[in-house]
Amino acid sequence: MEYVNLLTGFRVDGRRPNEMRQLKGEVGVVARADGSALFEMGNTRVIAAVYGPREVQNKGQQVNSKEALVRCEYRMADFSTGDRRRKPKGDRRSTEISLVIRQTMEASILTHLMPRSQIDIFVQVLQADAGTRAACINAATLALADAGIPMRDIVTSCSAGYLCSTPLLDLNYIEDSAGGPDVTVGILAKMDKVTLLQVTKYHELLLIAASFRTPLVLSSIHTNSITTILHTMCSLVKHFSCHLYPEGHCFL
Amino acid sequence: MVGLSVGEKHFIRGGIAQDLRADGRRRLQFRAISVETGVIPQANGSARVRLGATEVIASVKAELGKPSILHPDKGKVSIFVDCSPTAAPMFEGRGSEEFSAELSVALQRCLLGGKSGAGAAIDLSSLIVVDGKVCWDLYIDGLVVSSDGNLLDALAAAIKVALSDTGIPKVNVSLSAATDEEPEVDVSDEEFLQFDTSSVPVIVTLTKVGKHYIVDATSEEESQMSSAVSVSVNRHGQICGLTKRGGAGLDPSVVFDMISVAKHVGQQFISVLDSEIAAAEAAE
Repeated sequence: MEYVNLLTGFRVDGRRPNEMRQLKGEVGVVARADGSALFEMGNTRVIAAVYGPREVQNKGQQVNSKEALVRCEYRMADFSTGDRRRKPKGDRRSTEISLVIRQTMEASILTHLMPRSQIDIFVQVLQADAGTRAACINAATLALADAGIPMRDIVTSCSAGYLCSTPLLDLNYIEDSAGGPDVTVGILAKMDKVTLLQVTKYHELLLIAASFRTPLVLSSIHTNSITTILHTMCSLVKHFSCHLYPEGHCFL
Repeated sequence: MVGLSVGEKHFIRGGIAQDLRADGRRRLQFRAISVETGVIPQANGSARVRLGATEVIASVKAELGKPSILHPDKGKVSIFVDCSPTAAPMFEGRGSEEFSAELSVALQRCLLGGKSGAGAAIDLSSLIVVDGKVCWDLYIDGLVVSSDGNLLDALAAAIKVALSDTGIPKVNVSLSAATDEEPEVDVSDEEFLQFDTSSVPVIVTLTKVGKHYIVDATSEEESQMSSAVSVSVNRHGQICGLTKRGGAGLDPSVVFDMISVAKHVGQQFISVLDSEIAAAEAAE
């Protein structure tokens, strides 16, 4: 199948290779959570809710009492995929994504400021159209900011792939199921550091002359434009961690 | 879990006794409802309903299937509810399973009628494509996104709205000569059939706090309840289902009283919902 039109250079959904899908974010969507956000990347739509920092509920899970315990659960709605199916809770894919989100967010949360406490991040996928990992991380960042949890920096995430000898940014479902190599990158925006990097079919990328660098650079450039959007969003968030922690641990 | 101090508990109970609840409502008054249709483009029909801080999404998906041998002239409908952990941390992992099952069963009881499909709110024979061979399977999924009490009423309302938003593709069947072969089915992607949802009931839950009962209880009010009766009422004021929850017993006369109140409130709720559906469809 032709994923990039040879004449016009446009993709199946009419985007240019380095163009993202439409982004949309909203904070405060779950009234009773401490922080929450809805994030859309094209047809992918996720909700994140943050509860905490609060007392550790299960003392057995607390590894280090000097730092906050960060937990995460990723869940897909039964109706989120094209063909409906009921999946058992906690299947391997969900567990893996939960872990990835937890590790990525843990890297940016200033856990040492909240000892003996627990922060829960719950992400719920309402619609899956590829790139749920990236969308969940962006939503989780917004929700954490909405909850006023101090962070080192904003984590932004985006995926990119390589099809028809072209590096493509922010794959949709059709492109994602084409089976080409793809990367998901999470970046600490201001510090410009990569906190998440997942590559599938790396060997194929190595074989391709353009190499792994192009999609990586592509998605890292464009996570920066997500950053701009998240920054604008976060400036709307009422609780600034700057106010809570004036000694310079500011996330904006 | 709702943690309330003694003073707060007293305030909630006192307010209910004096017909002026903590959020300024009267005992038989619903919170403001907001309705949005077509929120899940991949589904045949979907709706989001907000009742105060409670938010639920319902989606209806139709798949072609085979009717059961016992009822070859009827389609199949199933209802599943899932409580997202975003609504409350207690729904994390397997924590929501029991509660989700309770909600699913209560909705099935109120909307689907008996095992034979008799008395169902949805006309099951309208789901049949070829008698005994092909029918539509409707999968109704509810998702609780944000929870502030009265989930059952919100879910039933969302399902009613989602069903009115649902379009089932028109199907052309070319019957082959041999009758025992599978018929060829051609699903149209342009023409859709709408449901008649006028007989789909809503659920009104009356929550008993102290001596009085209230509709559309918030989580705080639910934490003070002794028992709750969920009555499903259709447009004609007929009772389609009844569920009692909570530990305390109820005097039979109170139950009858509750049913007649629920019937009255339910019909008001249906008319509010109908105008919201019309507004949501106009906005789409």
